[in-house]
Amino acid sequence: MTLALAVTIGALFAFGTFLLLRDDLVKVVWGLAIFSQAANVYLVTMGGVVEGTTDSVPVLADHHEPFPATTDPVVQALVLTAIVISFGMTAFALALSYRAYEENETMNVTEWDR
Amino acid sequence: MTTVIMRTTARIVVPIVLVVAFSLFLQGHNLPGGGFIGGVLTVAAFALVYVAYNLDYLESGVLGREVEREASIGQHRSVAAYRRLFMLGLVVILLSAFAGVVFGQPVLSQSFVHLHLPLFGDIELASALVFDIGIFCVVVGGLLTVFSVVSAE
Amino acid sequence: MTELPAIAPVLVALSTGIFTLLARSWPRLQRVVVVAGTLGYAGVVGALSWDVVFASDGARIVYQVGGWRAPFGITLVADGLSVFMLAMTAVVAVYAAVFSVRFIDEHNQQVYYYPLFQFLLLGATGAFLTGDLFNLFVWFEVMLMTSYVFVAFYGNAIHTASAMRYLVLNIVGSALMLLGVGGLYATTGTLNMADMARMLAAGGVAMRPVVGVSALVFVTFALKAGLVPFQFWVPGAYRAAPLPVVAMFVGVTKKVGIYAIIRLYFTVFGTASVPTDVPGVAGDTPLAFLAPVLLVMAVASIVVGGFGALGRDSLEGLFAYSSIGQIGFIAVPIGIAAATASETLRKTGLLAGLIFALHHALTKGLLFLATGVIRDTAGTTQLSELGGLGERSPGFASVFLVGSLSLVGIPPLAGFFGKFLVFDTAGRQFATQTAGGFWAVTGASCLLAVLLVGALLTILYSTRAWMGAVWGDQTEPVQTSTVDAGEVAILATLSVIVVAVGVGFEPVYEFAEAAAESALDTDGYVDAVLGGADE
Repeated sequence: MTLALAVTIGALFAFGTFLLLRDDLVKVVWGLAIFSQAANVYLVTMGGVVEGTTDSVPVLADHHEPFPATTDPVVQALVLTAIVISFGMTAFALALSYRAYEENETMNVTEWDR
Repeated sequence: MTTVIMRTTARIVVPIVLVVAFSLFLQGHNLPGGGFIGGVLTVAAFALVYVAYNLDYLESGVLGREVEREASIGQHRSVAAYRRLFMLGLVVILLSAFAGVVFGQPVLSQSFVHLHLPLFGDIELASALVFDIGIFCVVVGGLLTVFSVVSAE
Repeated sequence: MTELPAIAPVLVALSTGIFTLLARSWPRLQRVVVVAGTLGYAGVVGALSWDVVFASDGARIVYQVGGWRAPFGITLVADGLSVFMLAMTAVVAVYAAVFSVRFIDEHNQQVYYYPLFQFLLLGATGAFLTGDLFNLFVWFEVMLMTSYVFVAFYGNAIHTASAMRYLVLNIVGSALMLLGVGGLYATTGTLNMADMARMLAAGGVAMRPVVGVSALVFVTFALKAGLVPFQFWVPGAYRAAPLPVVAMFVGVTKKVGIYAIIRLYFTVFGTASVPTDVPGVAGDTPLAFLAPVLLVMAVASIVVGGFGALGRDSLEGLFAYSSIGQIGFIAVPIGIAAATASETLRKTGLLAGLIFALHHALTKGLLFLATGVIRDTAGTTQLSELGGLGERSPGFASVFLVGSLSLVGIPPLAGFFGKFLVFDTAGRQFATQTAGGFWAVTGASCLLAVLLVGALLTILYSTRAWMGAVWGDQTEPVQTSTVDAGEVAILATLSVIVVAVGVGFEPVYEFAEAAAESALDTDGYVDAVLGGADE
C-alpha cells in the first residue's frame, strides 16, 4: 500500500513538474492542478492506515473484534481544506489564463512581454 | 450541446442532483457533506441547465422574465442575484461566528439540541448548520457568478 | 480590566471586508467604511499591543477559537512578536487605505478593490496571530489569493503575464508548504506550534526528518519574503499591482515570510537538539542548519538587489530591486542570530532584524506611495522621462527626500537605527569569530564587507532615483502635471512617522526587544498556549 502510494505521488509530481515546464499555457495550468493534487495525495498518505484501537478511535469501543483498519481523521480534514483551496486556485488560474491569452494574443508563454 | 438527449437527461437529472445536494448539505455537521459539497453539487445542477439550454433560459424559461439583450453579463439580472447571494452568505457567516460571543462563548462556538417531532422522531439541530448555510450561499453565489460570467465570454 | 481577545484584529478586518462588499453600490459610504474599518483595526492592534507589551510586560494573550482547547482546536496567540508585526501592518494598512481613496480611480474602486484590500489585511493578520501550522498555510492562501487578483488588477497584457508568473510560482510554493506541513505532522503527530515545540524539546521525536521537511516550509517562507533565489516574482508583481497595494506587499506580505521563519525556527525549533555531522554546520539545533542557508541567501539578496536597482530604468523597478536587497539586510542579522550560540547576540540579532523590518515597511511604503503620486501626476515612472519634480512641488520633494534619506540610513530617521543595529550585530559576530579558525574570520569579514557594499549601493541607487525624478530640468510630462496636494499631505504625515520613529526611538526599541524576547521564549509560549493541558 505504502509503495503504491509512494509511486503514485512520485509519478504525479513528475508529471506535474513536466507539464509546468512546458511553454503552452494550458499545459502549465494542468501542471499546476496536478502538482497541487499530488501534494494533497501526499497529505492523505501522511496519516497512514493502521489497525484501529479503542485508544486511537474511541467510537470503536462498541465495535466487535477484530477492529477494522482506520486512518487518521486529522489529515482528512486538512486535505479537505487543501482541496477547496486548490480548487479555488485552479479556477482562478483558468480564468486568468483566458484573460492573459486574450491580452497577449498567444498561448505560448515564452512569447509574452517581459 | 443543446441536443434533445441532453435536454431530456437534464430534465430528469437536475431535480435528483438538487435533492442529493440538499441532503448532503443537511447532514454536513456530523456526516460527510456540508455547505461546500452541497453548494458545489447545486452549482453542478445549474451548470447542467446552462449547458443543456442557454444562459438566458433560467430567466426566460423558468422565471418567465424578459431578458435585456444589450446589457453586459455583469448587469445580468441572475448574475446580480448570485452576487447578492454571495454577500448574504458572508453576512450569515459573520453573524454565526459572532453568535457565540452573545452567549459569552468564544467566537465560532457551536452547540446543538435534540428535538422530538412527530413523524420525524429524534432530530438533531446543530448551530453549525447556520454557518453551513452561509458557506452554501457563498459557494453557490460565487461559483455561479464565475460560471455565468466566464461562459458568457 | 477585561483583556482584548487575540482574535479581535481578525474579526475587525473580516467585518470591514464584508461591509465594504455590501456597500459596493454606494462608493462614498464604501470609502468611509474602509477608512473607518482600517482605523478601527489600527486601534484594536494598538490596544492589543498595549496589553501584551507595555501594560503587562511580556504577557501572551491566547484565544482558543470555538472553545476547542489546544492542541485540538485552532489557537490564536498574541505575543510580543505577533503584535510587533501587527502594529507594523496596521500603520502601513492605514496609509495604503487612505492613499487608495485618492489614488485609485472611481471605476477601479468599484471593482472589488476595497474588499480585496481588507482580505489581504485579514490574511496577513491571521498569519501573524495563528498558533497552528496548517492554519498558517490557510492564512497564507487567503493572503495570496487576494494578491493574485491585485497583480492582475489592471488586466492588460503585462499585468496578466506578471500575475500568471506570480501565480504559478506561488501555487508551487504552497504545494511545497503543504508537503512540509504534512511531513511535520507525520513526524511529530501535531500541528499546534506550541505542542510541537514541547515535543521537540522533550526529545523522542526523530529530528532529522523534521529538519529536512522544515526545509520545504522554509522555501515557501523565503518565496514569500522574496529572498534570492526566490526573488523572480518581485519586480514583475510590483510593477503590475496598484501602488498602494505594493506598499502593502512590501510592508506586510514580505514580512509575513520573515515572521514565519522567526516563529518556526526560533520559537518552535529553538530548543530542540539534533545530532549533526554535516560539514559547515556548527551546533546541534535546527537553527544551525538554518544559519548558513539563510546567510548565503541574505548576502545574495543584498548583492542582487543592490546591483539590480542600479540597472532599472523605472522607479517601481528600482524600488522593487531595492526591496529585495533590504530583505537581505533583514535576513542577515536573523541568520547571525541563528548561527550564534550566545543568548545575547541571538536576541540582538532578532532585534536588529525586526527594527530593520519596521524601518523597511515604513520607508519603502512611503517611497512606493510617493511613486504613486508621481504616476498620478506625470503619468509615467520612467526615470528618463522624469525630472524637476522638486521645482514643481517642493512639498513632494521634501517627502521624497525623507524617504530616500531614511533608506540610506541618515540619522535621526528610522533607517539609521535599522542599519546601525544590523552593522552592530555583524560587528559583534565578527568579534566572536576572531578566536575561531581562518574560515570563521573570513566568513564574518565577508559578511561585513557585503553589508558595506550593500549600504553603498543603497546610497547610489537612492541618489539615482532622487537625481532622476526630483532634480534636473522639468521634463514634458512633469511640466504639464499638477501634484495632488491631498496625496502629498497624506505622505507628509507618514514621513513624520518615519522621522518620529527615529527621534523617539526608545519605546520602539523596547517594543522590538519585547518582540525578540518573546520569539526566543519557547517555554513561555508553550505554557501560555497549552496552559497545563499536559498533565
